[in-house]
Amino acid sequence: MNRDVLERFRAGEEAAVKTVYERFRGPVFAISLSILRDHGLAADATQQTFVKAWQAAATFDAERELGPWLYAIARRTAIDFYRKQQRSVTSDTVDQIELPVGMDTVWQVFEVRAALDRLPDEEREVIRLSHFEGLTHSEIADHMGIPLGTVKSRSHRAHQRLIDLLRHLEEG
Amino acid sequence: MSDDQARYLETGSGADPADREFLDSVRAALRNEVTWSDPPPEVAARIMDDIAAGSRPLARLRPAWLGVAVVLGALLIAVITAVAGVFTSQQEEVVAMEGTEIERSAIGKATIGATGSGWWIRLQVDGLPPAPEGAYYEGWMWNDEGQGVSIGTFHLRDDDEPVMMWSGVDPADYPSIWVTLEDEDGDPAASDRVVMRGRTEG
Repeated sequence: MNRDVLERFRAGEEAAVKTVYERFRGPVFAISLSILRDHGLAADATQQTFVKAWQAAATFDAERELGPWLYAIARRTAIDFYRKQQRSVTSDTVDQIELPVGMDTVWQVFEVRAALDRLPDEEREVIRLSHFEGLTHSEIADHMGIPLGTVKSRSHRAHQRLIDLLRHLEEG
Repeated sequence: MSDDQARYLETGSGADPADREFLDSVRAALRNEVTWSDPPPEVAARIMDDIAAGSRPLARLRPAWLGVAVVLGALLIAVITAVAGVFTSQQEEVVAMEGTEIERSAIGKATIGATGSGWWIRLQVDGLPPAPEGAYYEGWMWNDEGQGVSIGTFHLRDDDEPVMMWSGVDPADYPSIWVTLEDEDGDPAASDRVVMRGRTEG
């Protein structure tokens, strides 16, 4: 995300907030859904995350990456939602409430989704059809109406790009 | 190595065994519905409506007498100890502070010292983000009966210098130190968002 957008986001400009939302709505929703396990609650948590981010935008250091900063707000917001939900149905104290997913997994979900969103649309679609839908290369070729050879080269390129985008996770 | 990793990510075969745990976790994420889900289209409009309405939370004052009492109390302690020169390095205790699952990367220490008017607590933290607008951090001393006393508030927005806080209760009787994240809603009770914890020797 370029410096100009980040500076305008820091200034609270609505157009910049929209840009940030478009860029990060997927990863933020993914964290919320992985913690809350409910699409409606995850949508509410996503909404609150971006409003909180706008409220706190002046504290964001534009020299740093926006992703980890947004991730921290999204994670806190989803955990708050989860704890409120759990405390309304149990008498457990906050210390006894366990989250349904580990924080390492949540961070990885955020990063994998953020990396997928940076792929060209046609490469991302090949990865989705292959891994999430479980289609073979031939089935993908039929589904997308493209030659098998194109699917193979596109798939190889997509996975190569994805590995490059996620290398810091392995090294971190 | 990158080609082997990409091939393993794509097909599930061929990579160095040392790389497989990481690559298997990425493959699992790619198969997970959560990774591919998007928020409903109306969320964008709801966010922009909230922003256009200027929904920054207003700071609600606690009861006026309470806010004034806290400030005057802190000033009085500061003046007395400064004039008397009673900041002493004697009887200092250092307490390790750790981040909870809300802020796992937070780490720090609380140094506690006794004065004639109470106890000072100097909190040094790393990895705790600035409190968002409309919120702040609050320090607490808790006893084992679940009773807590506030020792001060801070926000970390401008720098990460140590935070000075004050306790009128003996850490020996209130051995747990918590840091919570609070909303500016006028509620003096501790929230359930505990971000850091430590415990004195008692």
